Amino acid sequence: MKPTGILFFPAFDWAISPTHPEREERLLYTRDQIFEEGVMDLPQIREYQPRLATPRDIARVHFCVPSIEAVTTEAHLVSAGGALVIGDAVASGEVKNGFAIIRPPGHHAMSVVHGNRGFCNINNEAIMIEYLRRRYGYRRIAIVDTDVHHGDGTQEIYYHDPDVLFISFHQDGRTLYPGSGFVEELGAPPAVGTTINIPLAPYTTDQGILLVLEELILPLLEEFKPELVVNSAGQDNHYTDPLASMRFTATGYAQLNRKLAPHIAVLEGGYSVETALPYVNLALILAMAGIEHDNLREPDYDPAAFKEDPGNLARLKRMAALQRENFRRREEEREAVRKSGQDFYTATRRIYYDTDNIHEFQQVRQRLCPRCCSYRVIASAAAHAYGRQTRVLCFSIPLACCSACRDEAREAYIRSREEGGAGFDYLYLQDRPADEYRRFHCQREQEVTIV
Amino acid sequence: MLLGIDVGGTSTDGVLMHDGALVMSVKKPSSREKLAGTILEVLDELLEGRDPGALRRLVISTTLVTNLLATRSGPRTALILVPGRGLPFDYFRLAPDTYFLKGSIDFRGQVTEEISPFEIEKAVAHIRAAGIRHLAVAAKFSIRNQAVEQEIVRTLRRLYPEARVVSGSETANRMNFPRRAATAYYSAMTGEAWEEFVREIREALRRRGIKAPVEILKADGGTMPLEVSRQNPVETVFSGPAASAMGAVALTRRRENAVVLDIGGTTTDIALLIEGEPLHASKGARIHGRFTHIQALALRSLALGGDSVVKGAAGGVEITAERAGPAACFGGPAATVSDAFVVHLNLDLGDRARAEEKLAAAAAGSGLEPRAFAAAVVDQTLERLSRLMQEMFREWENEPAYKVWEIVHRRSFRLDRLVGIGGAAELVVPLLAEKMKVPGLVHRLAPVANALGAAVARPTLTVQLYADTQQGRYLIDREGIEGPIENPASFQLEEAKKTALDWLARLASAKGAGEYVGQARVNMAEQFNMIRGYSRVGKIFRVEVQIAPGIIDAFKGVSD
Repeated sequence: MKPTGILFFPAFDWAISPTHPEREERLLYTRDQIFEEGVMDLPQIREYQPRLATPRDIARVHFCVPSIEAVTTEAHLVSAGGALVIGDAVASGEVKNGFAIIRPPGHHAMSVVHGNRGFCNINNEAIMIEYLRRRYGYRRIAIVDTDVHHGDGTQEIYYHDPDVLFISFHQDGRTLYPGSGFVEELGAPPAVGTTINIPLAPYTTDQGILLVLEELILPLLEEFKPELVVNSAGQDNHYTDPLASMRFTATGYAQLNRKLAPHIAVLEGGYSVETALPYVNLALILAMAGIEHDNLREPDYDPAAFKEDPGNLARLKRMAALQRENFRRREEEREAVRKSGQDFYTATRRIYYDTDNIHEFQQVRQRLCPRCCSYRVIASAAAHAYGRQTRVLCFSIPLACCSACRDEAREAYIRSREEGGAGFDYLYLQDRPADEYRRFHCQREQEVTIV
Repeated sequence: MLLGIDVGGTSTDGVLMHDGALVMSVKKPSSREKLAGTILEVLDELLEGRDPGALRRLVISTTLVTNLLATRSGPRTALILVPGRGLPFDYFRLAPDTYFLKGSIDFRGQVTEEISPFEIEKAVAHIRAAGIRHLAVAAKFSIRNQAVEQEIVRTLRRLYPEARVVSGSETANRMNFPRRAATAYYSAMTGEAWEEFVREIREALRRRGIKAPVEILKADGGTMPLEVSRQNPVETVFSGPAASAMGAVALTRRRENAVVLDIGGTTTDIALLIEGEPLHASKGARIHGRFTHIQALALRSLALGGDSVVKGAAGGVEITAERAGPAACFGGPAATVSDAFVVHLNLDLGDRARAEEKLAAAAAGSGLEPRAFAAAVVDQTLERLSRLMQEMFREWENEPAYKVWEIVHRRSFRLDRLVGIGGAAELVVPLLAEKMKVPGLVHRLAPVANALGAAVARPTLTVQLYADTQQGRYLIDREGIEGPIENPASFQLEEAKKTALDWLARLASAKGAGEYVGQARVNMAEQFNMIRGYSRVGKIFRVEVQIAPGIIDAFKGVSD
C-alpha cells in the first residue's frame, strides 16, 4: 500500500499582521498535535518539503497587477510550491494521496490579482491544477471546496472551463464573506453545470453536510468521472470557528474526507487555531491515510450537542435534487448555446478586496466556439484606496482551445499592443497551450515574457 | 594520560595518549559474554608498568546496550501508556506488554480527562502477576504537563516497590510521544544490566587504584560520567560509530564539512561532519525499527568493504556482500575489493601476484581482461560510495523546515574533505577523494581512530525549554523539571534563552560537563504570540541549547 504524502508548511515566520487570524500561531497547535502523535514517523505517511513556485507557475493562472513580485511575498511562493510538491507526489504515483497543510491560503484569489482578498493573493489549487495538467496531461478535474467561505476565486478561474467540476458548499453568502456562491451560479454558458454551489444555513451540523456529500457531491463525481479530485480543505465549518457559524466537528471532517477520498487536499481557511485546527488537520490526515478516527475528538465534543433541524435537512435534500438536475442538464444547455450562433458571451462584475480595500470592475468576454473551450478577454479596472487606478486587459487561452481561436486571441493581443495598449496600463497574454506568458507595459511600450 | 577503549563487534581497541602522542594501543577480540572482562584486559595492558595516578581520564565506548537490544535478550518490560485522544491506541502498542490507561492531556498541558487510580492498580496487579519487574511510563503531551506521568510513577512505586520504573519525562521529554515511549521502554529494559556493568567497572577500578574520572561514550558522540550513565543507559547504544566519527574529528580538528568513511571488512559506515561536528539523525536512533529520542549519528551503511568478494558477471563485475576471508594478497581464498585496488594502483601490499591470479580467475566470467576487471571493481566501488554520499548531502539539504526564510535560503552541502578510517580506507579514500575533487585524509592513527575518538570526546548535553507565559510556567525536557515565570508580561525570548542556558549550566555541572557550559550554543529559539480575539494573551517559547559534541580542551591535536 502506498503512503499518504503530507507537506506541512506552517510559515512560522509569516503573518498578514500581528493580530490577524492569518498569523504565525495559526498552525502552532496543529504542529504540536501531529508531531506529538508521531504522525510523520508512521509507515503510512511520507513527509514532503515545499519548493518555491516559479513566476511561470503563477502566470499560468493569474494576471498579477502590476507584477507577480508586487502582489506576492516569498511565503506565497512557498505555499503554492508546497501544493506543487504534493501534486507531483500524487501524479507520479509516489503516494496514493496527499495533503498540503500550507499557509497562506488561496481560494479567494481570482484570475486577475490586484491585491489580497479574503486573506488570499494567489490560488494554490489552481496553480497546482494547471501545473499538473501541463506536466502530466490531466484534463478532467473536480475541486470540492469544503471551506466555510464560498471559494469564489477558484470558481471564477474555472467558471468557463467545462473540464473542471467545481463544487463548493459554504455558509450562505447572505450571512458571510464573500457574499456569493448561490445556486444560480452554474458556470459561463460554454461550461454551464460544472460550477455547483450549495449555500448552507448557519448552524448546519455534520449530518447536514454529510447529506450534501451523499446526495449531491458523490453522485456528481460518479457521473463526471474526474481524473483527479482535489479538496480545497477549509476547516472553518468547525463549531468553534470565530469567523463563521457552522457546527461541523472533527469527526464530521474525517467522515467527509473518508467518503470523498480526494487525491489531493490543500488547506484553506480555518481560524479556530487552538480548539479546531489540531483536531481537524489530524482528522484529515487519518482519513486520507486510512487510519481509524474513532479515538480522535475535541475535548469538549458531545455527540448529542448538535441536533440537525429537520427543516434544514429537507431544504438540503431539495437543493441537492435541484443541483443534480442542473448538472445533468448541462449538455442540453451548452448545446443551446452552440446553436444560438452568438460569437461572444459577456459579463460584467464588481469585485471587492476586503484585505487591501480595492474595488475592481471587470468585463469578461468569452469566445463561443462550437469546437472548443475558447479564450477569455478580461478588462479590469481597479480603484485602490487613496485614488490610484489601474486598468489591465488580459487574454487567457486555455489548454483545450482550438488553434483557430488561439490564433484569434494572440492576434487580438498583438493588435492591442500595436495600438499602444488601447487605453490600458498593462496587457497580458496567457497562452497555456504554448505555456507562454507575457505582460506589456503600455506606457513604456515594454513587453516581458514571464519565465 | 588519556585512555580510550572502544568495544566493537569483532575487536576491542584501546589507546593511551600522552601530550598528543600515541603511547600505546591494544587490540583484543571482543567477547559478548565477558564484555567488562575484555575492557579490563585492555586497560591492564595499557597501564602495565605505569602509574595509574597519571591517568587524567578514562572513556569507554561499549556495545553492552547495543547487544542487549540487538539480541532481544533484555528482561521482559512493561510499557504503561496514557495515549489520550488522537491516533488509535493500537498505533502505540510498541511492546508485547503494553498497558493503556485512561486520561488525556492537550497540547497546552490541560488535563482533558483524568487518570483512574483504579486502572493503575489493575495494571500493576497484572504486571506483578506476569512477573515483570521493569516498567516504563509515558503520557502523550507530558511535554506540556509532567504531573500526570509523575503521579503514575509515584503510584507504581508505592504499589510495587520492587519494580524499577522509568518515565518518559525524566529521560527525554521532547515532542513525539511514540519516540518518548520507546526511549523510556528501552531505558527500562537495559537499566539493570547496565547497573551490573557499572558496578563491575567501578569495583575493578577501585581495586586497581584508578581515581581518574570515568566516562561513557554516548550515541551522539559525547560522553557522560559513569555514575550519570545509570539515569538513561540507553543513550550508550550505537556508540561505536560515534567513537569513529569523533576519532575523525580529533584527527582533523577543522571546522569543515567532511565525510567520514569507516571502511571495514564487508561494510562501510559513512558519517558526516558539519563544520567539524558529527551530524545527528533528525529522527533519533532507531531501535527495532522504532524511532527514539536518543541522539545518534546520521549514519549510512553500505554492504561493501575491503574484504567483499568480487565476481565476474556477464559484461561486468559483481561486488558481493560476502566475506570469504582476508584479501587474496594477504593469503585469502578469493579476489576482493582490496585486491582490485592493489592491482589497479600497482601497490606493493602483500602478495600482489596472488591478488592478480585470483582476480584473473574471477574475471573469467566477465569477458574482461584482469586489469580492466580490477579497474571496473574500483569504478563501481567509488561510484557506489559517492552516490550514497550525494544522497546523504541531499538529505541534509532537505531536512524539514517550517519557516519561509529556511525554504527560500535552502542550505547546500559543500564538501571540504574525505576522512578515511578502517582497514581498507588507505586503498579506497585517495581515489575517492580524487573522484570527488576534494582532499582526502587517511591519518597514520586511522586504525585506532575509534579508541582515540572515545579518549578525547568531550561531554555533551542538550536542554530544551518550553515556556507558556499565559500559564506563567516553563518546562525543561529532563528530570521532570519545571518552574514559574516570575514576570509573564515582560518575559521575552532573551529571557527564555537565558533560563534554558541557566538550566543547562545546572544540569551540566551535575553531569560532568560544567567545564564546557561556556561553549554552549542556542540551536533553536521560537516564539509565538497567542492572540485571542484581537489581543495578545500570552507567548509561547521553545528554546534548545546544547553543548555540542567536540574534543576535550586538554587534547590539542595529534603531535607528529
